[in-house]
Amino acid sequence: MNPHHHLDPSTVVSYAAGALAVEMAVVAATHLETCAHCRARVDEAERIGGQLVEHQQPALSSSRLADLRACMLEQLDAPLPPTPVAAARGAPYEDDDRLPTPLHPYFGTSYRALKWRWMAPGVHCIRAAGTRSGTLLMLKIGPGRSMPVHSHGGTELTQVLRGAYHDALGQFAPGDIADLDSGVEHQPVTVPGTACICVSALDAPLRFPGWLAQRLQPLFKL
Amino acid sequence: MPTDFTRRPPPLRAASPVSTPTPLTRDAHDWTADMLSVARARDRAAFMRLYDHFMPRLCLYLRGLGSPEAVAEELAQEALLRLWQRAAMYDPQQGAVSTWLFRIGRNLHIDRIRREPGWVQVLEEAAPASDEELARPFTSAEDYAEHVHLQRRIEDLPAVQARLMRMSYFEAKSHQEIADELQMPLGTVKSHLRRAFLRLQGQVRGQP
Repeated sequence: MNPHHHLDPSTVVSYAAGALAVEMAVVAATHLETCAHCRARVDEAERIGGQLVEHQQPALSSSRLADLRACMLEQLDAPLPPTPVAAARGAPYEDDDRLPTPLHPYFGTSYRALKWRWMAPGVHCIRAAGTRSGTLLMLKIGPGRSMPVHSHGGTELTQVLRGAYHDALGQFAPGDIADLDSGVEHQPVTVPGTACICVSALDAPLRFPGWLAQRLQPLFKL
Repeated sequence: MPTDFTRRPPPLRAASPVSTPTPLTRDAHDWTADMLSVARARDRAAFMRLYDHFMPRLCLYLRGLGSPEAVAEELAQEALLRLWQRAAMYDPQQGAVSTWLFRIGRNLHIDRIRREPGWVQVLEEAAPASDEELARPFTSAEDYAEHVHLQRRIEDLPAVQARLMRMSYFEAKSHQEIADELQMPLGTVKSHLRRAFLRLQGQVRGQP
């Protein structure tokens, strides 16, 4: 898998800084599992973070630091805990029933076990429980379907997991991420043949300009 | 009404860790060598040098993210203890000691405040880039030169870009939170952060 659509640099910075909303971070982490290009960018942003932290002027009083230091020295004699084994990097998941690892806490581990809910003709969704703000949802859109034209009140981050869609920004296939802000109005159309499954994070309601879509919006709770 | 930050004196320059000029000579110390001594020989003196340098800085960072002093100290101690315990996992090709500690401190902080199911798993799964993905200098001299270049670029950031980077890294504010606080359009926040990041990577030269 060699993604062609990547995270925006401003999203990379916020991800590395720990400043992304949870929903956004889950989708970004799903992309990072398969994208070496963006992993290297996050690494750069973390390096910047390390350097920013290192170049602060420390303010801790020396007596307090001495206490903490003594406390640390005492702990160095404790036996070392077993070294955690680094998790294997995301296996290719296109022909596999396994969901990307970052989605497990929110959607489970298996595509087959997903409990899709009907949302509109040809469109099913699952909303993640347990997130506090914003929206995290998986979407399954039938092949050759056209979604209503919409723009975004805030940011939409969408990672394609299976199938593909295209819109004015190009074709989005498995591994690709659409990092869209409020300036973008688009109408995704899924490619024929297979259903498109993606995971989306929204930090503000979508905006549907059409009257029909606006009427449907309260039903979708988007 | 959006504020025009380019026309008034940079409000945070004096207080900002992003833009405080720092003598680079202080960084001539080779933290990587100390780290490798800890990994290979459980060298306590080397570890305590790392501790003395990074502990107050980590405390300051964690307090900036909003932790009360006692919590910041506890998390910073935990981060440095992990440095000691997991030193064998440290790989200098994967980045500076400061980068590693930044990741640990950030993850501990997020774990503490979010208490979301599986959140830390999400962070840990997004493993750092592997060697072949990084065009990283290989000798410590080259690494040090890169460190100096990055520090210069940080100090040379335009005031508004420095402020937004500071709000991201030191206050963990989202794009929307920054936009709300500064009454700046969301798209402008993103474009400033985008340009700041590209500048720090050395991909943009000259004026913003």
